[in-house]
Amino acid sequence: MRRPDIDDRLLARLIFAAAVFLTTYFAFLPNLPLEWRSPGSPRLYLIGTAGSALLLVSVIFLLAKRTGRGGSPSAWFAAHVVTAMAGAVLVSVHSAGRLRYAPALLLLALLGLVALGVWARIRLSRRISATFATKHGSFAPVAGENRERLQAVIREKETLLERLDPGAREGTFSLTLVHWLRRPAASRAYARLVREEHRLLGTRGTVSVAQAYWRRVHIALSVFFVLGLIGHVAVVTFWAGYVSGGEEIYWWHITAW
Amino acid sequence: MSQLALMIDLERCFGCKSCEAACKQEHRLGPGEYRNKVVWLGDFEGEGLDFLTLTCQHCERPACLRACPVNPKAIDRNPATGVVRVLEDRCTGCGECVIACPYSAMGYDPSGHHAVKCDLCPDRRSAGLDPACASICPGHAISFGEREELLACARGDERSVRDHDHFLLKPQTIYLERINGNSRGNGSAVSPTEFERRPAFVDAPKAHQVFAEKGAAFPYGKVKEEVKADRVEPAGCNICFNCCSAKFHFKGNELVQITGNDEDPVLKGKLCPKAQMTLQMYHNEHRLTRPMKRVGKRGEGRFEPIGWDQALDEIAEKLKGVRDKWGAEALALFIGTRTGLITKNGYVRLFQQMWGTPNIEGTDPFCATGKSVAYDLVQGIVGSGNSYTPEDMGSAEMYLYIGDNQAETRPVYFGMINDWRIKNRAKMAVVDPRYTVTASKADRWLPIRPGTDMALGLAMAHHILSSGLHDRAFCESWVVGWERWRDFIFERGYSPEWAAPLTGIPAGDIRSLAEDVARADGCVIFGSRGLNQHTNSAQTNRVLMYLAAITGNWGRKGGTYFNMTAGPPIAPDAPPERRPKMERPRVRRSPAGWVEAMRRGEPYPIKALISCNNPLAQWPGLEEVREAFRDLDFMVHIELFPNETSAFADYVLPAAGGIEKGEIGRTNDDRRIVWIEKLIDPPGEAKPDGWIWIELGRRLGFGDVLKEKYKDSRVFWDEVCIDNDHLRGVTQRRLHANPYRWVRFPVASEDAPEQETLYLEGTTAVGQPAGKRFPTPSGKLEFWTGEMEEKFETLGLSALPEFYSEREQLVDMPYVELDHGDAAMGVISPFHKSGPTGASRCRIVAPDGEGPGAALRARGFDTELITGRPPAPHFHSWTHYFWQAQEMWPDQYCQIHPDRAGALGIRDGEKVRVETAHGGIEAVAWVNAGIRPTAVFIPIGWGEKQPYHPWRPVNFLTDKNQRDPVSDQTNLKSLLCRVTRA
Repeated sequence: MRRPDIDDRLLARLIFAAAVFLTTYFAFLPNLPLEWRSPGSPRLYLIGTAGSALLLVSVIFLLAKRTGRGGSPSAWFAAHVVTAMAGAVLVSVHSAGRLRYAPALLLLALLGLVALGVWARIRLSRRISATFATKHGSFAPVAGENRERLQAVIREKETLLERLDPGAREGTFSLTLVHWLRRPAASRAYARLVREEHRLLGTRGTVSVAQAYWRRVHIALSVFFVLGLIGHVAVVTFWAGYVSGGEEIYWWHITAW
Repeated sequence: MSQLALMIDLERCFGCKSCEAACKQEHRLGPGEYRNKVVWLGDFEGEGLDFLTLTCQHCERPACLRACPVNPKAIDRNPATGVVRVLEDRCTGCGECVIACPYSAMGYDPSGHHAVKCDLCPDRRSAGLDPACASICPGHAISFGEREELLACARGDERSVRDHDHFLLKPQTIYLERINGNSRGNGSAVSPTEFERRPAFVDAPKAHQVFAEKGAAFPYGKVKEEVKADRVEPAGCNICFNCCSAKFHFKGNELVQITGNDEDPVLKGKLCPKAQMTLQMYHNEHRLTRPMKRVGKRGEGRFEPIGWDQALDEIAEKLKGVRDKWGAEALALFIGTRTGLITKNGYVRLFQQMWGTPNIEGTDPFCATGKSVAYDLVQGIVGSGNSYTPEDMGSAEMYLYIGDNQAETRPVYFGMINDWRIKNRAKMAVVDPRYTVTASKADRWLPIRPGTDMALGLAMAHHILSSGLHDRAFCESWVVGWERWRDFIFERGYSPEWAAPLTGIPAGDIRSLAEDVARADGCVIFGSRGLNQHTNSAQTNRVLMYLAAITGNWGRKGGTYFNMTAGPPIAPDAPPERRPKMERPRVRRSPAGWVEAMRRGEPYPIKALISCNNPLAQWPGLEEVREAFRDLDFMVHIELFPNETSAFADYVLPAAGGIEKGEIGRTNDDRRIVWIEKLIDPPGEAKPDGWIWIELGRRLGFGDVLKEKYKDSRVFWDEVCIDNDHLRGVTQRRLHANPYRWVRFPVASEDAPEQETLYLEGTTAVGQPAGKRFPTPSGKLEFWTGEMEEKFETLGLSALPEFYSEREQLVDMPYVELDHGDAAMGVISPFHKSGPTGASRCRIVAPDGEGPGAALRARGFDTELITGRPPAPHFHSWTHYFWQAQEMWPDQYCQIHPDRAGALGIRDGEKVRVETAHGGIEAVAWVNAGIRPTAVFIPIGWGEKQPYHPWRPVNFLTDKNQRDPVSDQTNLKSLLCRVTRA
């Protein structure tokens, strides 16, 4: 059976369509009625909410991928791509082009996330595939190198694992959300050993910086975005007075502190 | 179950990449997607060349698995078998596993966006088969099984297992170290090492971009269920001279896979990469599918599609016009081996006889006529009588390769030889200007100056004869004229000291090599294009044949002179009364000698050409050849792919190939005739060559000879092609009576047994009176006879081979000067059996310090240019239309020694310009020490009209006029050039 995937051509078409739509939209924005130029108007409020909801599919993808619940991770990944892109378009519309305010940073993060994701899928994929067979030096005979530190780390991991997950085998074990929730201290200690092992292996340093760190940047940006989104919702909902700066509060809110 | 593993023998692997091709077929992997890869490694310090088959290590502590962020993991490890696999439906394509694997053995599908990796072919395992790579490896370098058993085997063979567990991941894939002292020409340490480098141009991302954009052709990239075979048919491969049996896997009528034929008792299911990649020939968007008529200027490449009837009617009318105006011989036929032997030696031969032109030739004069003439003279028939069997070639104590890079040109055969070498602890030596792949497996590499192999052979013989190391009994019983030759080389002083400055090989090394050959109980001396493609081709081959004979290595098992190939004698004749008398002799044996007739009409005009090959990339001196083709009145090109030649044609006719038409394999090393069954229809309106020649013949009134029923090549084979003592038993019935579809000739009847080794003592040669061991006039090997002397005198030479080399050399040495240019008819050659053929008298010119070589050196041509075959995935131009062959070896390259590159400021992977006195081209530099410091090497096969990586072909650098007076063979191996950064 064919695995669910969005091929490069479709992804490029989606991003192109989104770009054309937003460019056209912002080009005509000054001529649109006020309700399309006010982010808090009922219409744009709803659009922003819908966009945020779509973006939250990515969080579900994360949970599905990390917990094993919810079906095929690759199907969720495809959903994450499509909904994130659609969400980004809606959130951009919601912004009404107001880029001089703090929430614009979220928009910037969102555009960064989309751009990074699309670049990784279309361009970086080839670089990832080209990694195959580039580390031929690893096949040279071992010539008296010091493997003791690595051995010590593995022993420490094995010892710790007896507490953390008694049935597990160190060679095929990695931490999951469940471990972090149930045994946070032991998990933290184990994660430190994993980092130490990675440092000793040095594999991340054997590929390009872009390949090594794009995903971490993507995750960091998404964390920043989600936290920012929560903050934004909280501020406009509870600190509507602060946000309005003394002007009319025309969006739905709970308190006007 | 114990842990399963692959065991990869670095001594046996010779980098052919067949395992890569098999893996991509088995798993339908597209461009950029790998589960295994063979890495070529070299270094700047020595001439090392090593190969690393890089695949998953199936680690006990798989770093990839632990790096996978999906839960449950998208990678798992079977605790029973130890197999680590990717669960593609769970993989989200983040690439963390690719980063984590310190062996870089985790692949990635860039278009499907998920990790891929070796899983040891579970489908094959469940069917009781080995993984695809292990079953097909021509080098017998990959074994599969339970790990403990593999290790026990290694111990039993006293082989060392490499410890490459730098990361304590407990890799399970076993690597056997190279055998000490046998890894390099200089005997230095074993490798691969971390200090070695890959050729930059092979991994250049820009070169691979083209595939990423184009994607993969069917069936690559398809899911398993869509292309799972439901039927398997045996047939053969038609792409090179190894002539492998193969199995063709079909789903319905669609060809989905090509594998080796494991029922073949000789080849045992081994297959080279290009044979597998013919799958990309049968499914190829670049194939010619309709007849086309030129509408633009000649060479411009503008055509319009037309129907077959219109094309053939118009061609027939135009040919008649040429005949009426210029005579029948004004039509030349250039029929390459691409067309298949049945076409070349059957259909076209009959057409040529009925038409009445003597000007017909194939690619032989560019490849092998020198050795053919030499075999005819010495043995009375072309080809060695030995076979690739353990009892015959496998029993040799020594293998000596001179100018034969068998590992890349016939990889399946080399895999057998190398396997026997290792098992029997036989010696192997390689004489070649390059540290070839073949040399990388040898005990000894002798980097000879190109064009001086005759001097080496003479000096070795001098030492053997002067030391009494020759096989006196064999010489006295079975060699005519050997004393005369012995006296000749003594008189001329062809000693090792004489040869040393000519060859660049120290006299001591020549002596020691000679002693090794003489003392071995069975030595196979291999020679090939490195000897043949010279102006001294025939004489060099004769000298080396003499060397084999005086050491008793002739007419025995495990000892022979082996210059491929031994073509089946297919030579049907039209009824004499239907053949018009040919008024004039053939202009020249070599098509290169037809150029003057095309351009200037001398000695008589050639005005029309039917070509079934790619002469505009293949003939030497392309600048002049293209001018000549522009001057033709009429030209037809019959091919599979459009190329440089097509662009010059008036009509381009789409041809069928391989299993699209019913054919035998090309001329083969050891007399196996492989029947290639017609299993599929050609694409579009393409037709088998036989169909085209019969239809054209019918329009010219030859229908009574080129009969309609012969369009079925099986009928043509049985009724027309095999009517002689060698082939009479190779009937369709016999070819189909076994599951591997080949029969070894000669077999005079259907029930006659095959002969593994010909010319053994006490036997009689085929078609000869009883007791005549060899098919020469004397029944013995002939070094010198009075009749032979007369023949050589016709051309101004002696029958006793006198040393001369090429005119373009870095040191002065004798060379041959032709008295007649191609515009003159000259004399009739006594060496060509196929009919009167023009040739030139000649003289050997002694060096005087002012010869052509000195003049060129003064103009800055200071480097030896060698041309030759590229690595195993390529063969001439076809493979350049296969995306995977281009993925493996994308660009035309120029191998250059680091010393020379450093002096010229050239870095690995940079573009260089190479010029000779005859033209210039560009290529990408491969800086590698495996070549004489004074030489560069550029492979053949690339062309300007190829779809992926077009390059101006190397034959713009060669010279059509430097030819062997005896065989008309062109020198393609020794020219002076200069190299600069482009």
